[in-house]
Amino acid sequence: MAGSGTAHLRPAGEVVLRVEDLFVEFPAGRGRSVHAVSGVSFDVARGETLGIVGESGCGKSTTARALMQLPPPRRGSVRLDGVELTALRGEALRATRRRLQMIFQDPVSALNPRRRVRDIVAEGPRIWGTGADRVDEMLAAVGLDPATAAARRPHEFSGGQCQRVSIARALVLDPEVVICDEPVSALDVSVQAQILTLLERLKERYRLTLVFIAHDLAVVRNVSDRILVMYLGKTCELASGDALVERPAHPYTRALLASVPRGGLGLPPADRLISGEPPSPVTPPSGCRFRTRCPEAGPECAAVEPVMRRIGEDHWVACHRPEVR
Amino acid sequence: MPRPPGRRDRPDRPDRPEHRGLLRRLGPAFWLAAGWLALVVAVAAAADLLPLPRYDETLAGPPRSGPSAEHPFGTDALGRDLLSRVAHGARVSLGVGVGAVLLGLAAGAPLGVLAGYRRRRTDAVIMGANDVALAFPAMVFALAVVAFAGASLVNVLAVLGVLSVPAWIRLVRGTTLVFAEREFVTAARALGARDRSVLWREIAPNVALPAASYAFVGMAVTIVAEGGLAFLGLSVQAPTPTWGGLINEGRPVMETAPHAVLLPSLVMFLTVLSANLVGDRLRALTDVRQSGLEPVRRRPAVPLPAPGQVHRIEEGALLQVAGLRTHLPTPRGTVRAVDGVSFTVRRGRTLAIVGESGSGKSMLIRSVLGLVPGPGALRGGRVYLDGRDLTGLSPERMRRVLGTRFGAVFQDPMTALNPVRRIGVQLAEPLRVHLGLGAKAARARGTELLASVGVPEPARVMRRYPHQLSGGMRQRVTIAMALSCGPDVLFADEPTTALDVTVQDQVLRLIRRQREERRMAVVLVSHDLAVVAEWADEVVVMYAGKVVERGPTAALFERTRMPYTEALLAAVPKLTDPAHHPLRLIAGRPPDLADPPAGCSFHPRCPYARERCAVEEPPLLPAETPGHLYACWYPRDTGARAPADTGSGTGTDSDGRGLDGPCGPGRPAAAGRPGDLSGPNDLSDLDEGADSRGR
Amino acid sequence: MTAVFRAVRLLVVLLVVTFLSYALLSLLPGDPVGQILGGAATPEAHERLRRELGLDDPLLVRYGSWLGGLLTGDFGTSYITGVPVLESLADRLPVTLELLAAAQLVALGVAVPAAVAAARRPGGPLDHALTAICFGLLSTPVFVLGVLLILVFAIKLKLLPATGWTPISLDLGWNLTSVLLPAVTIALPETAVYSRLLRTDLIATLQEDHITLARARGLSPRRILWRHALRPSAVSLVTAVGLNLGAMIGGAVIVETLFGLPGVGRFVVDSIFARDYLAVQGGVVLISVGYVLVNFAVDLAYAAVDPRIRRA
Ligand SMILES: Nc1ncnc2c1ncn2[C@@H]1O[C@H](COP(=O)(O)OP(=O)(O)OP(=O)(O)O)[C@@H](O)[C@H]1O
Ligand code: SF4
Ligand code: SF4
Ligand SMILES: [Mg+2]
Repeated sequence: MAGSGTAHLRPAGEVVLRVEDLFVEFPAGRGRSVHAVSGVSFDVARGETLGIVGESGCGKSTTARALMQLPPPRRGSVRLDGVELTALRGEALRATRRRLQMIFQDPVSALNPRRRVRDIVAEGPRIWGTGADRVDEMLAAVGLDPATAAARRPHEFSGGQCQRVSIARALVLDPEVVICDEPVSALDVSVQAQILTLLERLKERYRLTLVFIAHDLAVVRNVSDRILVMYLGKTCELASGDALVERPAHPYTRALLASVPRGGLGLPPADRLISGEPPSPVTPPSGCRFRTRCPEAGPECAAVEPVMRRIGEDHWVACHRPEVR
Repeated sequence: MPRPPGRRDRPDRPDRPEHRGLLRRLGPAFWLAAGWLALVVAVAAAADLLPLPRYDETLAGPPRSGPSAEHPFGTDALGRDLLSRVAHGARVSLGVGVGAVLLGLAAGAPLGVLAGYRRRRTDAVIMGANDVALAFPAMVFALAVVAFAGASLVNVLAVLGVLSVPAWIRLVRGTTLVFAEREFVTAARALGARDRSVLWREIAPNVALPAASYAFVGMAVTIVAEGGLAFLGLSVQAPTPTWGGLINEGRPVMETAPHAVLLPSLVMFLTVLSANLVGDRLRALTDVRQSGLEPVRRRPAVPLPAPGQVHRIEEGALLQVAGLRTHLPTPRGTVRAVDGVSFTVRRGRTLAIVGESGSGKSMLIRSVLGLVPGPGALRGGRVYLDGRDLTGLSPERMRRVLGTRFGAVFQDPMTALNPVRRIGVQLAEPLRVHLGLGAKAARARGTELLASVGVPEPARVMRRYPHQLSGGMRQRVTIAMALSCGPDVLFADEPTTALDVTVQDQVLRLIRRQREERRMAVVLVSHDLAVVAEWADEVVVMYAGKVVERGPTAALFERTRMPYTEALLAAVPKLTDPAHHPLRLIAGRPPDLADPPAGCSFHPRCPYARERCAVEEPPLLPAETPGHLYACWYPRDTGARAPADTGSGTGTDSDGRGLDGPCGPGRPAAAGRPGDLSGPNDLSDLDEGADSRGR
Repeated sequence: MTAVFRAVRLLVVLLVVTFLSYALLSLLPGDPVGQILGGAATPEAHERLRRELGLDDPLLVRYGSWLGGLLTGDFGTSYITGVPVLESLADRLPVTLELLAAAQLVALGVAVPAAVAAARRPGGPLDHALTAICFGLLSTPVFVLGVLLILVFAIKLKLLPATGWTPISLDLGWNLTSVLLPAVTIALPETAVYSRLLRTDLIATLQEDHITLARARGLSPRRILWRHALRPSAVSLVTAVGLNLGAMIGGAVIVETLFGLPGVGRFVVDSIFARDYLAVQGGVVLISVGYVLVNFAVDLAYAAVDPRIRRA
């Protein structure tokens, strides 16, 4: 990030979802705009889990929604199995919906309070006319008893159970890719463990591809094969979980890891790596967007935006002065 | 589905809550009001069939006679039977009331939904037109139409209906906007639902109840408005009686025959009141859960035993909490939010309180500070500061202690500062109230305090409002406020939960530095075990309002004795574990604090529970490390439990076999790794259920 | 929305409203010529007068010339009474304004302390009592309320005059007695609305963290209620006051009728019955200008109450 670039993308044939140079902006009044996502690229291979981490406001959820085309990004490409979603409109776009599903952060807000759980899960099959027979199977698969749970309304359930309903709703259409936007952030430790375990299990059983977004590095590390670090609408570093935790190269990744209490990673204390808070995405810094907080920043960082480059086996970083070990 | 025998069904979730809840939540007033409305409707419909004199029959009785058996409502100036006139007047009032509401609804609801759902241009156009309609003088419109087109029932109805449209549009648009932002609408669109289907299936059901509620309120408004027109002689014309007209006719004879005014007024009042009440009760239903705003009849809490005994004050303890209880009366019964908690803190040390959501951590802090919510809450036990019991202090003296010796920081910096007061004013207030500083001196101190907590440009920040600061800055400001009068104990309830990790680290560092500079004691509440492990000297683990384990941090994390603490530690993903490392699962869900299980409150979920656990509550027993206590009959005695930062402790446990403790009869298949689970139902055992707050 | 944009928008509202009412009035059957000449005049005389008054011109032309006059401060002269409309309005506006101010004063003066008292102990006896009283007041139509007040205070107790108006310029004391009953009649239902709104918002505010923290700082309950909780809870109250003010600029017809007050509302009603279009149009201008001014005032009040709104 604080940069962009597409060098880290794999050949189109190997991936199921490929996102290239995604831009999303929102009006911020007085003719200005929030640069929520600015040139993000990544891809996900079939059966893989890609984790996306970053602090609040770095554009994780915006990225997730842009993938779903809700709303479509301002610019950039989202290819699902080679089909360019951003070029589709109306019915053609609607027809691709069932292949890409989403799970939301707030388990309560994600379910219609006036509908019964069975109707919520059966909504997808109703729209598409297939899969109605899978509703009970799905409810059971997420750990809800179809006989007793299905006739109830969401407010009769706890946060964790609501999240299970959300998962059932997303999976009943047998999607190829599921985007999980902070699915466990609102949950307690013990419930978080249950939902994470459930997701892993369902992923195996239904051969899912996951994009897993969270702000908790340890959670992302636990579920992901590869991890993408984002900062203020840009990409910082992409690597396997092991490489990222053992050899963090981007100054921001290092600061993030050092801030995790009891990370025990032998990094210098976080306050020597980072200070202050992220600047406003309305007026992002020039060059590398991280430079206002970066201890390594040099003159080139303000002038030239770094792009993703390879520094190791499937390890990519967007920084002029990465710490390569 | 097999259920572990220890599990109980939740008492607060009856199988058919809708029906039971509906009757209870609507209340008797609703049914009385609805009954009255039904009666008026019936009388209006059957007015011609009732054995009453004709409404226009003059001299049906002596003029201006009061209520009698023959004429229950008496007669008017012309000797006409008033009851009959009121009954026929109801036709106009109700006809116009119902008709106008239907018209307003039919025109306003679709426009409102459209404006709220489509937004942008559609919204701008509809709301612009609405503005014009609102600015248009309603009376001029009504008078013009009625005066010129004639005052027939239909015209009056049409006028009042049209006039109600802007209010309908506003209401429906507002409600639609609220729900259109919810994620379930996004989810429906993600499933591929068409707009029409989203509107009908997702949004309409949510708008229906507020609309139904407003229909009754609107009916009340219309009945009053029709009365007003009739009063001005602009509604349906004589000889057809109307309620407003009757009241107007009665006015000249008010002195000699007050019943001619009072009785029609009373009928009209009751009808309008009923409609308002029905609308209000329906609106209360829209909050799917009863909000704290509606007065509810609480069952009084069972009184706490008097905190008779005097406690031994521990040597060197700055703050000692002994047997603290807080019981809150709720409609479900008494919630034992804090149930006999004891701990001590010394100067210069940090005590952490950990536990999952709803375990009573926040209530414990509020209880120590004497800030239990609501009138019915009961507090028992003692709180000693420097050996002095605070629970007996008068409110004034307690406020003095709160102001000068305690400081508090809460979780959400967004809500912890008053949004409408400048930082400077808020920061200076305790200095002026408690230390008696003048305005100038207080400002100067405030600026220094901001500088000391690392706020850049403190003088400028003093003039800002909270919303102009970032989350981290706001939390620094609340810390500065908590420190302003030089407290001895700082209570920090999840001070970093709402913050990003990098900022969390900065804030925790700040708290530690302040503790050292001011020689304070810190009570740090957190649900994050990693934070606790790194920043606390001593730890209290809470479960269901009770302390289940407490002790020095190192001992507690390395030689965990209580199964719940152990399970909690193993349920947290660790950075040092490899990807897809299985997590330890805790079966079941935390108990309902209104009805906690007998014996050990963890027994329904505990893999080591035996008979005794369900019967006898374990006391806090000493472990080998001094100060380390645990509440368990069958503690884990693993010699070297790994601390959180090495992460190695979970590997052996995760398959369930590493847990070599005794297996109780109620042991659920809790500790399995995902791969061990075969059937589709397996994970249902891991269902955590609702937390006791029922969120 | 910027201030300029808002101003333009309100101006457009003003134009559309006056045009619509102009059109509405001229579309309705009945015409002032008949009223002026009386039933006996010949059709030729009708024709002549129509032409002289410009009533034959197309609607837009007539509206345009009326608007042109308006911009130079000429509201026209009533065909019926021969009195300039502006003069009639100027006579009546003070009555309406005084009534409106007195009513809001009474309503806020009662509602704010009542709401604060009720919010101290939600669900307590005081709160229950206030809720019941509010429902009662909300459900009593003003004409019933006015009649009852007259019955009690004027007829039975003979404390206050039942009807009639004494301008301030004549006698302040009599003026106040003549405004008291009508003002209370208007104020009582508004008191109910205001205190319900404020009570609900206050209770919500009192549950917020910053209030608990203020208590944790050892501040007194009185200080917390009045200095910390009141202002952040006042937004709906401001909205409601604005709506009421906007609605009342046009006069409270019923109350004015009931108490025999020469206010704007009565003037408009009488003018309609007399088919005095120009007078009605004058009233419409007054009412919609009032609406626009109140809208601006409410925006200012929002900003004063809640600094978060100032950014917009
Ligand atoms: N105002 C209240 N009225 C009734 N019950 C309450 C109230 N506030 C809290 N409770 C109940 O008291 C218990 C303890 O709640 P508390 O907020 O102290 O938990 P906590 O450990 O701080 O949780 P969290 O981690 O979510 O902050 C819960 O069962 C909760 O439902
Ligand atoms: S070294 Fe330069 S490019 Fe790298 S993160 Fe820091 S500021 Fe950005
Ligand atoms: S073993 Fe028994 S006493 Fe110990 S935690 Fe388990 S249930 Fe409670
Ligand atoms: Mg809490």
